[in-house]
Amino acid sequence: MIAIPEYLVVAQWALLGALGVLVVIMFRQLGRLLTGAARAAELGPVTGRQAAPLTYARPGDPAERQLTPGGGQPLLLAFVDPTCPSCEELVGVLGELQTAGELAGLRVLLLISDPPSYLQISEVFSATGIEIGRPVRPAGLESYRVSATPLLVAVDAAGVVRAAGSVVRPAEVRAFAQSCLLPAPEAALTVVPAVAGRGEDGT
Amino acid sequence: MLACKAVVAVLLVAAGGAKLADVAGFAASVRLFLPRPAAPRLDGTAARLDGTAVPRLDGTAARLDRGVAVGIAVGEIAAGAASLSSPRASWLNLVVLAICGGFVTVSAAGYRWHRGRSCRCFGALSRRRFNLAGLGRSAAIALGAGVATTPVRAAAIQLGPADRIALLAGALLVAAAAFSAAAAVGAGRGAQDAQPGWT
Repeated sequence: MIAIPEYLVVAQWALLGALGVLVVIMFRQLGRLLTGAARAAELGPVTGRQAAPLTYARPGDPAERQLTPGGGQPLLLAFVDPTCPSCEELVGVLGELQTAGELAGLRVLLLISDPPSYLQISEVFSATGIEIGRPVRPAGLESYRVSATPLLVAVDAAGVVRAAGSVVRPAEVRAFAQSCLLPAPEAALTVVPAVAGRGEDGT
Repeated sequence: MLACKAVVAVLLVAAGGAKLADVAGFAASVRLFLPRPAAPRLDGTAARLDGTAVPRLDGTAARLDRGVAVGIAVGEIAAGAASLSSPRASWLNLVVLAICGGFVTVSAAGYRWHRGRSCRCFGALSRRRFNLAGLGRSAAIALGAGVATTPVRAAAIQLGPADRIALLAGALLVAAAAFSAAAAVGAGRGAQDAQPGWT
């Protein structure tokens, strides 16, 4: 009779168990992908509705500021965090577009939930010239439904949400920016849920 | 003792494989613990519309973060695979114990200074954050690694070359499966789950 070392048996079961767990995870993910549209629909404020006002403070400045959509200036609100790699990508794209003058006429505001001290861990965040704020009250925030980051929200001059979604590609960000500059009937833009699956060229 | 050794080794391999699938995400966690310069490193400037300078980033810190992240992930796979396939090398038990001790230290530091942030300990496979439960899990794994350092009968761990190669192949298969699963989960999730402050 062949003697099998105890360790070999135990190790094989450990490997088999790990593989079993990973297979279950992959099957669960398959199920989630099939219902992915439902999750995307739960991200961001409802388009076509009035954007809620927010109270925020700038890093290093405890003074509370009121953000009131509908004040005559279109808004591009980016809900981002320095600890989120895709958010850094979005902030970089926004910076490039702003430098190129493609966001002219828009007020761009980066809203973060991480403490301001986290800004210094991200080169992109610490170097951006875009205004950064941190909501100081939960009031109004829930209507933005920030269930994932980054979340970009385009609000037109009348304070109506024109587009919302998790986007980082320059072309998508540009479309968002344009959507809040156009007159209302032309500004309808569907939610773009995909951060993943973008082209390799980043466009 | 044998089970502790095998399970901890497989955990290391799976964690390393999953991390490799989302290096950018894990690098974001790594940089929470790396010292940062007071100001971003710059390699030049471009003009803003208002004439002021916009700093450009040289990406050194980002490359360092990614390098450390890849190093940790590959190191986990290597240590786990070696420990699994070479049970007679008792020094590997100490290496694994040291790695697990590092996990406890990082978990404690994360709990102290970055509570609620994603740890990405298993890449996209896990949504765990730095919290007390995570610290407990790290301590439990370290305890398992500690138990695995206890000497056992030589006959129980006497493996032939074919056995060792089979276990090594199994470890690499787990790493590949963890990579695939994490990549699938990450792609499906798209954006990162919101920080607690948003919800």
